[in-house]
Amino acid sequence: MDERERPQKPHRAAKEGTSAKNKGHDKGFNEKAFAFKSGRRADRQARRTVEKDQTRLHVPLVNRTPDDEPPPVIVAVVGPPGVGKTTLIKSLVRRFTKHTLSEVKGPITVVSGKKRRLTFIECNNDLNSMIDIGKIADLVLLMIDGSFGFEMETFEFINVLQAHGFPKVIGILTHLDLIKKFSTQRETKKALKKRFWTEIYQGAKLFYLSGVLNGRYPDTEIQNLSRFVSVMKFRPLVFRNSHPYLLADRIQDLTPREQVRNEPKCDRTITLYGYLRGTNLKESTKVHVPGAGDLVIKSVSLLADPCPLPASESEKKRMRKLSEKNKLIHAPMSDVGGVMYDKDAVYINVPGSFTRRQDGEGGDDDDVVQGEGEQMVMDLQDLKSTLADGIANKEIRLLGSSSAPLTVGKSRHSLGGADDSGSESESDEGEGEGSALGSEDDEGEEDGEEGSDEDDQMEEDEDEDKDGDEEMNVPGPSRGRSSVRRHARSTRGLPADTAGISGDIEYADSDSDLGDLDGMRQDFDRDGVDLDDEENSGEEDDDEAPRWKSDLATKALESFKQNTKRRRDLVKLIYASDLTPEQIAAGAELGDGGDAKGAHGDGDEDDFFRPKGAVKTSLAEEVLDQTKEDVAVDALAKWEDEALLDSIRHLFITGSGGGDEDGAQPDGEGYEDEEGDGFEDLEADADADAGPSTSQSTEEARAAALAAKKEALKRKFDEQYDDPDEEGAKMDFYDEKKDEMARQLQLNREEFDGVDAETRALVEGYRPGSYVRIELADVPCELVDNFDPAYPIIVGGLLPAEERFGFVQVRIKRHRWHSRTLKTNDPLIFSLGWRRFQSIPIYSLDDHSIRMRMLKYTPEHMHCFATFYGPVTLPNTGFCALSTLGLDLAPFRIAATGVVLDIDRTSVIVKKLKLTGVPYKIYKNTAFVKEMFNSALEVTKFEGATIRTVSGIRGQIKKALSKPDGAFRATFEDKVLMSDIIFLRAWYSIQPRKFYNPVTSLLLANKTEWTGMRLTGQVRREQGIKTPLDVNSTYKAVERPSRRFNPLRVPRKLSAALPYASKPKLMKPQKKPTYLQKRAVVMEPEEKRAITIMQQMKALRKDQVSRRKEKKAESKAARLKKLAKDEEKKSEKKKDEKKDIMRKIGQKAKFEAEGGSRKRRKT
Amino acid sequence: MPSQASSSLLRYTGHEHFRNRIVLSILSGKPVRIDKIRSDDKDPGLRDYEASLLRLIEKVTNGTIIEISYTGTSILLKPGIISGGSITHDCPLSRSVGYFLEPLLSIAPFSKKPFNLTLRGITTDDKDLSVDLIRTVSLPHLQLFGVSDGLELKIKRRGSAPLGGGEVQFLCPIIKQAKTINFVSAGKIKRIRGIAHAVRVSPQFSNRMIEAARSVLNRYIPDIYLYSDVYRGDDSGKSPGFALSLLAESTTSAIHCSESVSSPGISPEDIALQAARSLLNEVSRGGCVDRKHQNLVLIMMVLGSEDVGRCRMGELSPRSIQLLRDIRDFFGTSFKIAPSDPATPDSSELLLSCYGTGYINANRTLA
Repeated sequence: MDERERPQKPHRAAKEGTSAKNKGHDKGFNEKAFAFKSGRRADRQARRTVEKDQTRLHVPLVNRTPDDEPPPVIVAVVGPPGVGKTTLIKSLVRRFTKHTLSEVKGPITVVSGKKRRLTFIECNNDLNSMIDIGKIADLVLLMIDGSFGFEMETFEFINVLQAHGFPKVIGILTHLDLIKKFSTQRETKKALKKRFWTEIYQGAKLFYLSGVLNGRYPDTEIQNLSRFVSVMKFRPLVFRNSHPYLLADRIQDLTPREQVRNEPKCDRTITLYGYLRGTNLKESTKVHVPGAGDLVIKSVSLLADPCPLPASESEKKRMRKLSEKNKLIHAPMSDVGGVMYDKDAVYINVPGSFTRRQDGEGGDDDDVVQGEGEQMVMDLQDLKSTLADGIANKEIRLLGSSSAPLTVGKSRHSLGGADDSGSESESDEGEGEGSALGSEDDEGEEDGEEGSDEDDQMEEDEDEDKDGDEEMNVPGPSRGRSSVRRHARSTRGLPADTAGISGDIEYADSDSDLGDLDGMRQDFDRDGVDLDDEENSGEEDDDEAPRWKSDLATKALESFKQNTKRRRDLVKLIYASDLTPEQIAAGAELGDGGDAKGAHGDGDEDDFFRPKGAVKTSLAEEVLDQTKEDVAVDALAKWEDEALLDSIRHLFITGSGGGDEDGAQPDGEGYEDEEGDGFEDLEADADADAGPSTSQSTEEARAAALAAKKEALKRKFDEQYDDPDEEGAKMDFYDEKKDEMARQLQLNREEFDGVDAETRALVEGYRPGSYVRIELADVPCELVDNFDPAYPIIVGGLLPAEERFGFVQVRIKRHRWHSRTLKTNDPLIFSLGWRRFQSIPIYSLDDHSIRMRMLKYTPEHMHCFATFYGPVTLPNTGFCALSTLGLDLAPFRIAATGVVLDIDRTSVIVKKLKLTGVPYKIYKNTAFVKEMFNSALEVTKFEGATIRTVSGIRGQIKKALSKPDGAFRATFEDKVLMSDIIFLRAWYSIQPRKFYNPVTSLLLANKTEWTGMRLTGQVRREQGIKTPLDVNSTYKAVERPSRRFNPLRVPRKLSAALPYASKPKLMKPQKKPTYLQKRAVVMEPEEKRAITIMQQMKALRKDQVSRRKEKKAESKAARLKKLAKDEEKKSEKKKDEKKDIMRKIGQKAKFEAEGGSRKRRKT
Repeated sequence: MPSQASSSLLRYTGHEHFRNRIVLSILSGKPVRIDKIRSDDKDPGLRDYEASLLRLIEKVTNGTIIEISYTGTSILLKPGIISGGSITHDCPLSRSVGYFLEPLLSIAPFSKKPFNLTLRGITTDDKDLSVDLIRTVSLPHLQLFGVSDGLELKIKRRGSAPLGGGEVQFLCPIIKQAKTINFVSAGKIKRIRGIAHAVRVSPQFSNRMIEAARSVLNRYIPDIYLYSDVYRGDDSGKSPGFALSLLAESTTSAIHCSESVSSPGISPEDIALQAARSLLNEVSRGGCVDRKHQNLVLIMMVLGSEDVGRCRMGELSPRSIQLLRDIRDFFGTSFKIAPSDPATPDSSELLLSCYGTGYINANRTLA
């Protein structure tokens, strides 16, 4: 019973094993189901797959961004004000880092995954910012107010993007919750999506964010968006792939305070911090900061990554998710972690009161728990001694090896030429080479001078903290700077101009006394890594030492080793010594000639001013600049020696030995057979060569050699006998190119792997993805004074060619939405390359491939050429042109777009010039023409030129006439008339004006108010000047008097003499009536009746017509009356409307005058 | 703008390495000022050939401003763009055509229009590369960098020193960007070629030179062809002379070359032996490029794309060392120089690698 009642166990499907595998395909794979039914279908299918395969292909492009440590992806959030940009960034940052931002200022870098970091940047509504951001953004989150629709700025931004290489764009619709009705909402979504797709591409991703909860967008929607953002793939853009660039996330003014105080408008020295992108940045690269101008890099230094990716490789593999520890955020301008960097100060917010913690209490976790700033302040508390104690205990050794330390007083004396001008010696190679005294002296001096910078860093920092006016440069505790950094030594070796460096100033306790040193401070802690090895390791092995100081000694040791174990280092000899090339080539060593370090120091700047050839004086005979070297006959005599001749046999394919090289062994056999006795001793010789080496080598070496040999043989065998179709032929062009690129990238990575950081930076530059600090000199003070974190600062590297100026020829097309045609010689703002500038273009068209003919206006819906003076940019670079950058009422500010075609120093544009003249004497086909030229000289210049009359008779200028100045004889193909105008068509070449005006919007206090050169009309309007009117240019009614021809009169005498046929036939008018006029008509009664009837009918008809006419006139008058009434009504209405509009405009003006913002412009 | 131009001005002193500095200035676009040109000499200032070179540079470029001081001891060169096209230039008799052609080899590929340059003067002398060497060795070196289709040097007429009378035509295509080379395997010499020419002397001279050269070289490989190139009549120039140029090509197409030119009182056999021995000398130096062409290769390596280019070379010549320094001034690029195989300390071969500047021919026109 029980058993029957109990329900049967349900079937459990096998989870593994054969039955599980066969699930769904019980009878196995049915081949027939997928077979083609017909051959044609199969063919079509095959074609389709091939076509689909082709769509996959793109032009292979090298991606210069390293795969292992890529720079953060720049995600720009763009949209009109009030659309929710800040809210979106806050939501995303919270999603990635669990950090709630209070404000969004400047770039915000977060770690979003194991291999990806993101830099969020908010773009304000200024067109300048939009252009700059469009040039650097990898991904654009384009925000659209769903309740309002697209705005003109959005379209302008999309056009800017198109001109500068299209980054990825994701659309985001917000404010959808404001549309209450569901169906309207759906319709809106659909309409906006359609519009968005036509702008970007069909199927572009568009997100909808519904509403704001707790100041953030809903978590699920943000999560979806964040997933899209963090897996997005990017295709390299050509321009960015050939230029280094950096988005500054921090700016700092390094100009000495005192100088600024004395001279507030002095040029500043600033540093910009950020991740490098694009290609490698070299220190010699010129840069352009859009909105500020072309600047010169003073120095670049590598910094520890403030927002690193998860460090260890094993961790990356093991973890599927990012651990909390690794979810870092770096936003120096936005007040994160209690530290905020301003242009000239660092603010540390410490929540409440804090206490000093015991060491070892916190451990590593503290880094996460504490904010960065808090940690800094904690570190400051690790102080045992005062500044004075530190100085008192400090020992200074002149040389690394010297046993007795110098006393402070002594060192003071030894400094004859003390340098206090912000320079410091760089000792990266000093210790190893045992080099000259001078440089070491400098070091020692600095140590003394700066009051033992390393261990007193803390005091100084504390002072700064109090002061609140200085830059704080304590690196974060867990981010010890690992790499050696270079720094240009600018004024080393210059005699000191200030004699007032005395001990008490140097050792003053107060920060203000040390004020003039603050420019250097940063550099000291950098140099400290390898500079003060002995002192630091000796003195600071306290437990309390902050972690960043811990392994200085080992680092110094390493760098020392690196320096000593090098044998004759050609790189150093060539680039960092004074030796002449001849000496180097002759094998001179570093110690022989000049002081390597000294030369290296001024290699950066002073090099140019040092006479290079000074070593060689003119008393020796002149050294010619010749390629062939003089052959010494006795040097060649050695080649008479048989043994020597044989010794280079291995360099020829017939020779053996060095078998591991790629020499073609098999070919060699053939040659040997042919050769005969010339190569008798070949084997013996090879054996002799090989003999001693084998006897010396151990078993292992022989085994290794054998293995290598086997390997080479195997390779050779493979090469010869493997089927070449297997790999080589299978690779098509596309794969081959990609393979080639991959190999080159691999080589790029590996070539400088083992090289130390300094040489690497020298040879290779700084790699993209590294966090660097760029020091810029001679920056206009306005950039610092008017700094606003809402406006991005970009450092764009320039290629060597791009520093120059020339005439740029572009292909240009006026934008269809731009309301006015563009006129030649009207200023236009270009956004080209990194730059934004105003220039004066001349438009032209190619006239039958003969000449470039100037156009007064751009043609409608057609490309034309434009030539303007501006910075050289590589051909094929896109640009956009703007009529205005300001917020005036221009409906669409993008005036034109195009591409650069050509760069030149001259331009070939011509415009037509017609010279006119009139004939004053006409012979058969010859005419004398005047009023075309002013002198005979001008005529001779144009001898032989073709001329033409208005009626189309062609002719040629023959020769100048002496009588009226500028008259000439000309021949024509037919007789010309005196009334004809004769003209000469000539071409006059014109050059664009050399006008280049960079848009320096970042230097303005109000960044949107940049005005460049104005149009003449604008200037006149603003100054109330009337347009000058030439009387001759006014339009008048054309008077064309009708020509009167006189009657032909033949004199009577002549007439009489003429034959009759030629005689003018003059007849008098007839006076008498003719017969027909005279006769009387008598009608028959029948006829009479008919005529009467006809008359009556006609009369009737006449009456009818007249009555009808009358009636029509009546109705017409009525209609006119009605129309007039309507018109009146209409005008009344229009008047009302106008009134309304004027009132609104007045209100707006008033609002704006009171400081209101720009009104939204709907499309 | 003007202020920038003055800030990037490079200054040098002395007349040495004149050509390299001019070339680097033209390529990099940086103005250069060279002072104290033979200022202490009893005949101060520019020589006629240097002035002629400057004139040639003016012809092949557009917008170049050259200011020469009154005494000729200092010049200022503000480079324009390289325009190319069809140009004819008469070279002075103090230097051969090679002096003028060598700097143009690295400039020509980056011009606006393909080069069609006719040079008249001495075609072979003992100071500069002869036209034979440029044709057979320099052009293949240029081909390594992707300058190939239409690259040609036609020797229309030969002209020996002192009176010259030769004429060559140099055709060079334009390229967008120089290829990055990775030339580290020197290979083994597989063939030797040579050209023996004799003008206005007995044609037997060239045969005698060939015989003598073969006596040295035959021991190594059988693949030796030495051509006898005799020009007659008008094509043979105004002065008598003969010369032998030799080149050795390896399995990896590395080329080494040598040349020796007749001088009064030296027999053709001696000339040939000298050429052959200096070829052996050159081969024994190793490397993938010829010593006389290190300069060309170094410049073209720097102009490559932003990738690592590598090349194996024998010992650097003093000119190359100075060039490396000048390259750093003009382009900011330094080379990594390492011994090619650290295992064998006695080998003097070097591996030079550099990161190209990504130089793109901005003069090229698209329309």
